[in-house]
Amino acid sequence: MIMKKTVLAIMALGLAIQAVAQTSPRANNLREVVVWGRRPMKDIGVQKTTFDSIALKENIALSMADILTFNSSVFVKSYGRATLSTVAFRGTSPSHTQVTWNGMRINNPMLGMTDFSTIPSYFIDQASLLHGTSSVNEAGGGLGGLVKLGTTPDVARGINLQYVQGIGSFSTFDEFARFTYGSEHWHISSRIVYSSSPNDYKYINHDKKVNIYDDDKNIIGQYHPTERNRSGAYKDFHALQEVYYNTTKGDRFGLNAWYINSNRELPMLTTDYGNERNFENRQREHTFRSVLSWDHLRHNLKIAAKGGYIYTWMAYDYRREVSENNWSTMTRSRSRVNTFFGQAEGEYNPTEKWYLTANVSAHQHLVRSEDKNIILQDGDKAIVGYDKGRIELSGSASAKWQPVNPLGLSLVVRQEMFGNTWAPLIPAFFIDGLLSRKGNLMLKASVSRNHKFPTLNDLYFLPGGNPDLKSEHGWTYDAGASFDTGGTKPFPFSIGGSLTWFDSRIDDWIIWLPTTKGFFSPRNVKKVHAYGIEGKLNVAFEPFKGWIFDLNGSYSWTPSINEGEKMSPADQSPGKQLPYVPKHSASLTGRLTWRSWSFLYKWAYYSERFTMSSNDYTITGHLPKYYMSNISLEKALSFKPVDLQLKLAVNNLFNEDYLSVLSRPMPGINFEFFIGITPKFGNKKR
Amino acid sequence: MTRKLLLFSVLFLAVLSLTGCMEWDYDNDTENFDTAGSGLFICNEGNFQYGNATLSYYNPATNQVLNEVFFRANGMKLGDVAQSMSIYDNKGWIVVNNSHVIFAIDINTFKEAGRIENLTSPRYIHFINENKAYVTQLWDNRIFIVNPEKYEITGYIRVPDMTMESGSTEQMVQYGKYVYCNCWSYQNRIIKIDTETDQVVGELKVGIQPTSLVLDKYNKMWTVTDGGYEGSPYGYEAPSLYRIDAESFTIEKQWKFKLGAAPSEVQLNGARDKLYWIDDDIWCMDVTADRIPARPFLEYRDTKYYGLTVNPANGEVYVADAIDYQQQGMIYRYSPEGKLIDEFYVGITPGAFCWK
Repeated sequence: MIMKKTVLAIMALGLAIQAVAQTSPRANNLREVVVWGRRPMKDIGVQKTTFDSIALKENIALSMADILTFNSSVFVKSYGRATLSTVAFRGTSPSHTQVTWNGMRINNPMLGMTDFSTIPSYFIDQASLLHGTSSVNEAGGGLGGLVKLGTTPDVARGINLQYVQGIGSFSTFDEFARFTYGSEHWHISSRIVYSSSPNDYKYINHDKKVNIYDDDKNIIGQYHPTERNRSGAYKDFHALQEVYYNTTKGDRFGLNAWYINSNRELPMLTTDYGNERNFENRQREHTFRSVLSWDHLRHNLKIAAKGGYIYTWMAYDYRREVSENNWSTMTRSRSRVNTFFGQAEGEYNPTEKWYLTANVSAHQHLVRSEDKNIILQDGDKAIVGYDKGRIELSGSASAKWQPVNPLGLSLVVRQEMFGNTWAPLIPAFFIDGLLSRKGNLMLKASVSRNHKFPTLNDLYFLPGGNPDLKSEHGWTYDAGASFDTGGTKPFPFSIGGSLTWFDSRIDDWIIWLPTTKGFFSPRNVKKVHAYGIEGKLNVAFEPFKGWIFDLNGSYSWTPSINEGEKMSPADQSPGKQLPYVPKHSASLTGRLTWRSWSFLYKWAYYSERFTMSSNDYTITGHLPKYYMSNISLEKALSFKPVDLQLKLAVNNLFNEDYLSVLSRPMPGINFEFFIGITPKFGNKKR
Repeated sequence: MTRKLLLFSVLFLAVLSLTGCMEWDYDNDTENFDTAGSGLFICNEGNFQYGNATLSYYNPATNQVLNEVFFRANGMKLGDVAQSMSIYDNKGWIVVNNSHVIFAIDINTFKEAGRIENLTSPRYIHFINENKAYVTQLWDNRIFIVNPEKYEITGYIRVPDMTMESGSTEQMVQYGKYVYCNCWSYQNRIIKIDTETDQVVGELKVGIQPTSLVLDKYNKMWTVTDGGYEGSPYGYEAPSLYRIDAESFTIEKQWKFKLGAAPSEVQLNGARDKLYWIDDDIWCMDVTADRIPARPFLEYRDTKYYGLTVNPANGEVYVADAIDYQQQGMIYRYSPEGKLIDEFYVGITPGAFCWK
């Protein structure tokens, strides 16, 4: 039985500020919200960051990489605007971050990582981060953590339409349209996003100088040029179709189908002296992801089954013009991935004190990778690549126990098999306790072992794949405290926060190293000790009637130290921070709303990142710290036939000249204007 | 109300305090070097796609090493993957592979003298005369002809039976009017180019993937193949060392290594009568020898050696250790007898050397 206690608070500010995706009118009043006197047993001891719909639906131009940058302290490594963006938790690498979409893992099985720049935030209704140990509840292999993404059947009754257009700097056009239909049994949603831009933003190239010559070709002057981002154009199309049927008798069926058609140029490096008109460097992707689900709910039992399929075709072409209008291919790489997915799970609540879960899932990957076309010694043609399949089985069982109301214990046991290799048992233990009802002061702690299997490229890529690689593995511990409270004096407010310490040791860390034969090959080399602190703070208050102020901040301190053996007598890397892992990262969002106006300030900070394993302060050895500030101002207008939302967003407000990765230019200040149109079709109820 | 205004002011100031500028290390200050006399340039490749190649300079007489000299002298980066360097006409020509450029620098001040841009994927430069040089390429089936005086691309030598995608031409040596070049990636041949007509006039098949090429004092060319890799559709075989007569363009002798070995970097001493190469250990033999020595010149030191050179003036041997390819590499300097004389850190992935 769940005890409810209502207090006047504004923690559910999210309810007050409807994002443009929503169709119901705004309401800036403080609300009575429910504060759970007893937390869900499923989340006993879990370290979780949840993103509300305001953050996810801020504007249509944002990807999940942008959302995570400004709303969490995980490290988002971005290679440029609309370019590869990876996410890493707690000082680990991007391939140590597992990503699920509606329960199905969507990490690329060849690379292990996920490109968050290709996930539009408008396609995600629910997003949360499971830090470290907590990821074991959902999947194995998340040595850093897990990003859980999903959609919900929650749509308004009747037919609803919404269209949003964004027009921005660098000839950027973003378009979003959504159709929904809701009835007692059916919930249908269709969404499309189309984004395009030449993406040719200006930047000062500090890495290069342009020469000024005299008539005899002698250099008489040099200067750092102001260049445009070369070869950075993109056209991304996404379509998401969802159909849900609810019997209203405890059964729900769902279908989610997401199609991506992405065509992106890969920007030239700041140190590239090639003529952009003579080179083409392009990546194209077609991905289709679908999940069919069935949920059966009884008062103390939930049974669910899912089936899914992912198809990904990726093409990379590097071409140069050898004579006018005569282009020759230098690299023509193709990969095709078919993934079949199945999952069954059950949750059982036999008594108030016990909560039992079990889950089995299977991902069958079939990968064909074609990396290069060559001419053989006998003159025939051949393709360098690999064609492999791998079954990935994962099963878990958990028992959660609340012997007394303030105390919760949870034990999760997970077993995984990839190919024909079984990982050792993955155990995880969680404990939490409500120390004080006043302020909801809660203590949490957990411990787990985890294993991450090598990716298919790690094992089979030609040349270099190493079938003898071992799994990366280690132990993770964390402990922390959280609180949530609110009041009405001197004005209505709520405040909540958490502080977590974590410590993990990862052995047999895989890195790709060059060989004397001119290619790279992965090896298990490093032993890494990653530890640190994560903090979060949320404050919301109403200083003046009708003015609501909401602040969300996060901070991470993440030393991630190479504790491996020296690779040679001259090796200076042991004891040093891993490359491209900032020791400090922080984010802050502040939102001020008044009537139908909303002002948002977003800020992110990454401390310096070393680019060398020896942490040298050479000229290319580290990337200086940077701060990023974005703002937006939004106004909602309501007319009889339509609701309108107008928004102006300013990115990189202080025109910061910065880099996230060496030699990858980032845009300066830029603007985008959005207009959202939501026709009204009579009264709607959610 | 006053309290509320105060709170707002504090918050506003707090937000303002969060702004700031990235503290760039770059500035326009440049250093004036004057390094007359002999010395050794070290090309540090850096990491592919990170634009962190650097140039180091070492003075063997004083044991002084200067790192990042290109940046320090010019106030700009060298680029992405510094592949090789040659000296001609008192200029150092640095081939920066993935920056599609060759920089010419003054060999004493390291100041840029000019640049040749828009190359496909340049690997090595070989000078025919003051008006003509050849630039080999990866991912191109053409060798570029450039004018070093005007820093211009003037033409191409098309290599027969080679596509752009599997194109690979590498190191060059000259015998009379002919330039010989080993073709490495997914290739198995040495080609012969007539420098008067700029045409490929012959080719010689060797083993899979000849990595490097030198010409000894007896006009014998030496190349070593890496044998490809396991699973390669092009083939996988035991690597070999070849001695090729430049005049007749025929293989005189072949020494086979064991399958899986990865020999590379054939080099000569100043007198061009001793051959050195890397095969885990550092090996050395007389160019007139019929057998590979039983023991290496320098034993393997728990690392992968990535570069090798011999001081033409005194026969001292320099070996590059790239360590984990993500930190400053180490150069070991040995006497002709194999005794360690000095060691010094340079840049990331030191791979190629050039003697001044």
